[in-house]
Amino acid sequence: MLTVLLYDILQLVSQALHALLEEQARLKMRLQELQQQRKELGDSPKDKVLFSVPRIPLVFRGHTQQDREMPKSLVSNLRIHCPLPAGSALVTFDDPKVAEQVLQQKEHTIDMEECRLRVQVQPLELPMVTTIQVSSQMRSQRVLVSGFPASLSLSEEELLDKLEIFFGKTKNGGGDVEVRELLQGSVMLGFAKEGVAQRLCQIGQFRVPLGGQEVPLRVSPCMNGEIQKAEIRSQPLSRSVLVLNIPDVLDGPELHDVLEIHFQKPTRGGGEVEALTVIPQGQQGLAVFTSESG
Amino acid sequence: MPRGADHLRSGVQDQPEHMGIMEADKDSILQVLKEHWSDEFMKDEQNKGLIDEITKENIQLKKVIQKLETELQEATREFQIKEDIPETKMKFISVEIPENDSQFQNISCSFQVSSKVRYELQKGQALITFEKEEVAQNVVRMSKHHVQIEDVNVEVTAQPVPLNSGVRFQVFVEISKMKINVTEIPATLPEDQMRDKLELSFSKSRNGGGEVDSMDYDRQSRSAVITFVETGVAEKILKNKEYPLYINETCHRVTVSPYTEMYLKKYQIFSGISKRTVLLTGMEDIQMDEEIVEDSINIHFQRAKNGGGEVDVVKCSLGQPHIAYFEE
Repeated sequence: MLTVLLYDILQLVSQALHALLEEQARLKMRLQELQQQRKELGDSPKDKVLFSVPRIPLVFRGHTQQDREMPKSLVSNLRIHCPLPAGSALVTFDDPKVAEQVLQQKEHTIDMEECRLRVQVQPLELPMVTTIQVSSQMRSQRVLVSGFPASLSLSEEELLDKLEIFFGKTKNGGGDVEVRELLQGSVMLGFAKEGVAQRLCQIGQFRVPLGGQEVPLRVSPCMNGEIQKAEIRSQPLSRSVLVLNIPDVLDGPELHDVLEIHFQKPTRGGGEVEALTVIPQGQQGLAVFTSESG
Repeated sequence: MPRGADHLRSGVQDQPEHMGIMEADKDSILQVLKEHWSDEFMKDEQNKGLIDEITKENIQLKKVIQKLETELQEATREFQIKEDIPETKMKFISVEIPENDSQFQNISCSFQVSSKVRYELQKGQALITFEKEEVAQNVVRMSKHHVQIEDVNVEVTAQPVPLNSGVRFQVFVEISKMKINVTEIPATLPEDQMRDKLELSFSKSRNGGGEVDSMDYDRQSRSAVITFVETGVAEKILKNKEYPLYINETCHRVTVSPYTEMYLKKYQIFSGISKRTVLLTGMEDIQMDEEIVEDSINIHFQRAKNGGGEVDVVKCSLGQPHIAYFEE
């Protein structure tokens, strides 16, 4: 009996050993797999993305540069909306030097026939994003559809409807569409159920009837971007000044002229005014700015 | 410790009880025991050592695997973009009267960022853009072309341009004119009391404060978001980076900063595909002016009998590489 017991022990030990060795073999295999994956990753250039993404036709139009340190991206459509308080005016001069001179005096006295207006001037500062860091993650329930021919003459709504009808059908591998959005050169579709997006991405290629013809379209995973970090800095407008605390003594058009005359006088430190907008007492306005380069 | 080893240990401890039953032929048992014990003990020790060793190895393996897994996950699922936005001068366009009053509560800023897709044109390479896609495809299909450049006949190879992928998105930033962020609030008081002290301090007009509309204080992060009733209060406070917070006659300096909300729209990763532009290679040995070579290439590929068609632009590099930008 004792012998039996000892053999039991022996067996337990070998079982434990066996289990451990089995685990080790499994781990080693997994490690090999991962190392292979990393090797493949290392072989491809950094900018390459490993999953399929919508293809956008690009063309070389002769723009070249020999400097490698150029910004990696293009910033466009910059718009800033800045609320202006009641009883204020925004004066934009032709010359930034004039704006600088005007700002040297914090208070301006404007002479009129019967009275004097005392107003304050200050620079207008706009928030500018200087650095932005964004990370991407895959969205599990969304896909991107791309590959629309340039000749396609459907309105946004028509196109979205056609796509929703096609990808809403289970026989096409789709499912209930919850969200849809037209992006530049592609359409984002969001599905109600898990797994639909994955299934569609695995198929990848579809022939979709659009505007009387079957168009080959590509379905790829949808990425979501999130701002990780951003730096914002205030930048004063070089040619504009903000005039504040304008009393309610004149009508809008009259006030406009009085202010323009005052700020054009070189004797008062002024100069050629390019634009002048008055926000009378009791009103508010939203000033719109864009980049000087367009 | 793995399960097997646990069993092993309890098995050994059970031993004395079993021995008690075996009183009868003590001698022979003892004999067996002696042999087995020494034998088994030795094996046991060996095995234990082995088990420990393998367990350790496995733990190590698991660690390496985990590290690799996260590394790979980050590389494939998530990729980070950091962009420095060049400084731009702003100009005034117009004044709008919005229907929605809430627009007066923020300064809003929006812009679009899109990666510049570029190809580094190496020595001996040229890019040629045709007016028609079909012509470009045909030139690639033919692959080898014999181009007469001055008195030399050069064999060039046409192929599609390998382009990198890029990303584009719209950024929206809203900076509140009504709210401010307060940080580095000392944790010297219970939550309720601190909330009151904050409200009291930030209401003091002599310090630039004003009537507080709402207060969102988080003791854990030692921060608060304060909303004022009047516009202009936030702006006045933010002229300084700090604000005095009075707690029982001692004055603390808390940090104030703009309250900002940011979000992205229309985020899209794409890969560039060049349908009208073709890459030509095989001109490494030519020592001529780039312009002359460009003209020769242009002339050759313009001709339908060479498989070409209307040419938009040609750019070649015979010395330093050029960075060529691809556009939509």
